Amino acid sequence: MSRIGVFICHCGENISRTVDVEQVAAQAALMPGVAFAVDYKYMCSDPGQNLVKNAITEHRLTHVVVAACSPRMHERTFRKAVEQAGLNPFLCEMANIREHCSWVHEDREEATDKAIEIVGMLVERVKKNRVLPTITVPVTKRALVIGGGIAGIQAALDIADAGHQVVLVEREPSIGGHMAQLSETFPTLDCSQCIMTPKMVDVANHPNITLHTYSEIEQVDGYIGNFQITVRKKARSVDEHKCTGCGVCMTKCPQKKIPNSFDCNLGTRTAIYVPFPQAVPNVPVIDRENCTMFKSGKCGVCQKACGPGAVDFEQQDQLIVEPVGAIVVSTGFELYRITEKTKGSPIKGYGEFGHGKIPDVIDGMTFERLASASGPTGGKIQRPSDGKEPKQVVFIQCVGSRSREKGISYCSKVCCMYTAKHTMLYHHKVHDGQAYVFFMDARVPGKSYDEFWRRAIEDEEAVYIRGMVSRLYQKGDKIVVMGSDISVGVQVEIEADLVVLATAVQPQKGADLLAQKLGISYDKYNFYSEAHAKLRPVECATAGIYLAGACQGPKDIPDTVSQASAAAAKVMTLFAKDKLEREPIVARVKESGCVGCFACKKVCAYGAIEEKEIRDRQGNLVKVVAYVNPGVCAGCGTCQATCPSKSVELDGYTDEQIVAMIEAL
Amino acid sequence: MHSEKPKHDFEPKIIAFVCTWCTYAGADLAGTSRMQYPSNVRVLKFPCTGRIDPVFILKAFQQGADGILVSGCHPGDCHYIAGNYHARRRFAVFRKLLEFIGVDLNRIQFSWVSAAEGGKWVEVVTDLTERVRAMGPMVEFKDLVLEEQWSGNLNNPELQAVYEAM
Amino acid sequence: MTQTIDISSYSAITDAIRNEARRILSDSTVSAVIGYTAGRRKGSTQPIVITTADDADQLIFSAACLNDLVVYLTKAKKDVPKGGRIGIVVKGCDLKALVGLLGESQLKRENLYLIGIPCSGVLGSLLKPAAELTTETIASKCCECTDQLPVGCDFVPTVTPTPLPDLEKRYANEIARLEAMNPSERWEFWKEQFSKCIKCYACRQVCPFCFCEQCLCDRNRPQMVEQTPRPLGNTAWHLMRAMHLAGRCAGCGECERVCPMDIPLNLLNRKMAKELKELFNSEAGFEVREAGPLTSYREDDDQSFIR
Repeated sequence: MSRIGVFICHCGENISRTVDVEQVAAQAALMPGVAFAVDYKYMCSDPGQNLVKNAITEHRLTHVVVAACSPRMHERTFRKAVEQAGLNPFLCEMANIREHCSWVHEDREEATDKAIEIVGMLVERVKKNRVLPTITVPVTKRALVIGGGIAGIQAALDIADAGHQVVLVEREPSIGGHMAQLSETFPTLDCSQCIMTPKMVDVANHPNITLHTYSEIEQVDGYIGNFQITVRKKARSVDEHKCTGCGVCMTKCPQKKIPNSFDCNLGTRTAIYVPFPQAVPNVPVIDRENCTMFKSGKCGVCQKACGPGAVDFEQQDQLIVEPVGAIVVSTGFELYRITEKTKGSPIKGYGEFGHGKIPDVIDGMTFERLASASGPTGGKIQRPSDGKEPKQVVFIQCVGSRSREKGISYCSKVCCMYTAKHTMLYHHKVHDGQAYVFFMDARVPGKSYDEFWRRAIEDEEAVYIRGMVSRLYQKGDKIVVMGSDISVGVQVEIEADLVVLATAVQPQKGADLLAQKLGISYDKYNFYSEAHAKLRPVECATAGIYLAGACQGPKDIPDTVSQASAAAAKVMTLFAKDKLEREPIVARVKESGCVGCFACKKVCAYGAIEEKEIRDRQGNLVKVVAYVNPGVCAGCGTCQATCPSKSVELDGYTDEQIVAMIEAL
Repeated sequence: MHSEKPKHDFEPKIIAFVCTWCTYAGADLAGTSRMQYPSNVRVLKFPCTGRIDPVFILKAFQQGADGILVSGCHPGDCHYIAGNYHARRRFAVFRKLLEFIGVDLNRIQFSWVSAAEGGKWVEVVTDLTERVRAMGPMVEFKDLVLEEQWSGNLNNPELQAVYEAM
Repeated sequence: MTQTIDISSYSAITDAIRNEARRILSDSTVSAVIGYTAGRRKGSTQPIVITTADDADQLIFSAACLNDLVVYLTKAKKDVPKGGRIGIVVKGCDLKALVGLLGESQLKRENLYLIGIPCSGVLGSLLKPAAELTTETIASKCCECTDQLPVGCDFVPTVTPTPLPDLEKRYANEIARLEAMNPSERWEFWKEQFSKCIKCYACRQVCPFCFCEQCLCDRNRPQMVEQTPRPLGNTAWHLMRAMHLAGRCAGCGECERVCPMDIPLNLLNRKMAKELKELFNSEAGFEVREAGPLTSYREDDDQSFIR
């Protein structure tokens, strides 16, 4: 027998102005099962909550209906209050008579009638509510970080410093990512490697971090707190444990003319190589496509030269299974390459810029390598074609970005700032040189960013031309850049020695494939989707997976590091308890009714439904039924609407509760 | 400022089945923005349109609903990834079935109303209410309910025979 | 003009089924064969389960072999011995139901030995089982059949089914007739039909897809569908039945055949099939589907009906 308490809030005058709350209380008191009904000025205030708590004790209430604002506003408040009075929080329901009634209707009579009906619906519903105990799921306090750029490094260090084990997986032979390639960083112009490499070393030396470089995610199983990750450790052909990093192998390797992608193909490397001198781990890898031994079966010079005998041509890919409880995805970005368009890239066009055809048309990252003291030119600005110092450099912004008709509508966010930085670095190194920038508009919000951009123009003499470039072509050893200056409405023609394109920031290739393995969603550009654009910006909709850095959208270093630390904090929050507690709004299977058609499994977007064998005492298979993993279930209830026999039921939204509401109408 | 509202002979009963993340929140926004709409609608909150079973619609008609609204998140916005896509298929089929047995589909409205579309919620609810009000009561199921109580006439020959036998 | 349909091939089919059943039972390929045998009335047939090669001669195939035997693999399986592979005689329409059950994890293909029938059509009713098969007496489902020759069976007699003459598409015509009505006329039509229902649930009993252990319509907490054989409950039952079969029903038409009150049940199923074909280009066939049309979706599905 239910003894329901109904509590009607005036919400100051917000409700009572149009709804006759006393009448609602009087009518509610007459409803079957209602033992107590009262109205009060502010039910969510402390005295209001105490009124609820006291009434529960005094009137031995079994269920509570609070008729007030939207449950989205105060359901938690009242469920907590009810819990403090000793009732299960899920025996409390809210009737929305403010947003859905008093605020949207003016007629007092109509609004009062409606409020009474809404309360009646909820009274019938709450009778069918069941005690729902909080669900707990064990948590493996070990995190996986995918991608070892600055985002992954920061997240891994933060989590490891908190005392938890971290597995860091990086696709390339070394961690460091794009930040290791940069020369100086805006807005302070400090050397990227000087701030980056110590962090890389920290990762290598951290007792809590297991580093798998030259490795990729093969398979992801499990769910929040209990993932099983299969990592493919690609054959490095060098034993990591034996190698001392002396580098003799590299000096002996006869293949010396392989373009080094770390230097944007400006410099060369050997077939056995580390991508850059500060690589972590400092263990070379053999590029099997270019190695003479792998191509012809004859050579082995590096193996002979290697003192510790670390070179192993027979090495195979290894599959390692890592149990983890949380995953941080930080796979970063790549720049749009006009000539090497990646499969599925949405960008069309830009062939008119001659990138890839005219050697002195380069992208922003290539300029970073030219300006870097550790780069192929030792930091001297020399153009790729003939090594001459360029005296006129044209920078073109928004190549690919913010151009709906050419495929990408978003802003790549970092280009305005890095182009301003490029003009400064150029001016510092080539004092008699002139930098021109074609731009649509300068997007430089951020601490000290606008000042930095202004400095480029006012102190460092960069000429900013508002307008786009229509065409450029080679003329002798010059590149003629034709564009328009829309602020004065004239055509501009510049004979440049070097052209730098600020090409669009895109997700790494294969980002979609990784997302499919992880079961996380991504947008049409393959950027990973956060659970909520504002309130859950570092979490994925899939529980236990977090995002950091440019894989979620274009970001600069400060934003990336902030997000990485935020993701790490989320992981630490998850790891703060031994067991994960979650709201018990999950589906449950009534095994006696389930006939194992698995329609539920087909519609479950979370893969929460598994097949479970029911056996008798002799171990004979009786039947196979569905089982809902409460750790994975998100509580949408699509399974229940699909189940023909309704043998799977969503707690909190059972058929009984819903039918009771319909029948109350 | 408050104009006298016209009184109607018939006020339809409208039942709305909505998802909590988009349409319910959209209706909340309509409230917070103090928009006005007819008071005929009763809102039933679901976690997701994917949870809404066609049998609920049937049940609502049996309970005397004159019009029904099913509303959730726009495609791609589902809080639960794909619940609204499944619901879209389910109701695309169910409405065809209802149409085939003779339910006027003007009584059933499906819509996508996001948490930001308080105005759209008001439009959808107002249009449906006015349309159904003009159509009059949903007599079909109400007749069935009456017949459920007693399907024969009191003066039918069989009963007459029984009376006479007594 | 009534025309006789040539079913002379059925005696050759009968011989072929017997030989195959004898072979697979004697070499223990299967532990039982589900097929048809002669009934007591002249020309009538009934289902039979045989477990020895000696009984193979009891099997027959004729125009009176109406039953969809697939139900004997699921809910009526207590008549069939447990364990071992089961042989079963299937017509094209029956096979589509069987394939549907494979897709819904109710059956495993490796446990079955399928004997397919190159079918030239069967009678619409067993009331006159000895009647000649003509364009009049042929079952309505056969009039729209496109699957006379089953595909993917373990054994099919090498007989070419008689191409069906140009038959009146009874369901399609009736659907078109109803669609042309206005809603209240349609409502009157179905109200009349459903009011006949006595809730004997023969339609549920005979349906290969009604395999739930507890039917939604038998539940009383909550009571989703009124259980009384009165108009409200009847309407709800038939609507839910049609909805639950949408995208699954393969059109064996058994529900309609067994209905003692002659309610045109398959008409609802055919209408649903037509809509699913039009909306999602989905129809039941001989290929096992990973997910049915109502357990899958496409992002670009039609939503012209949604505001």
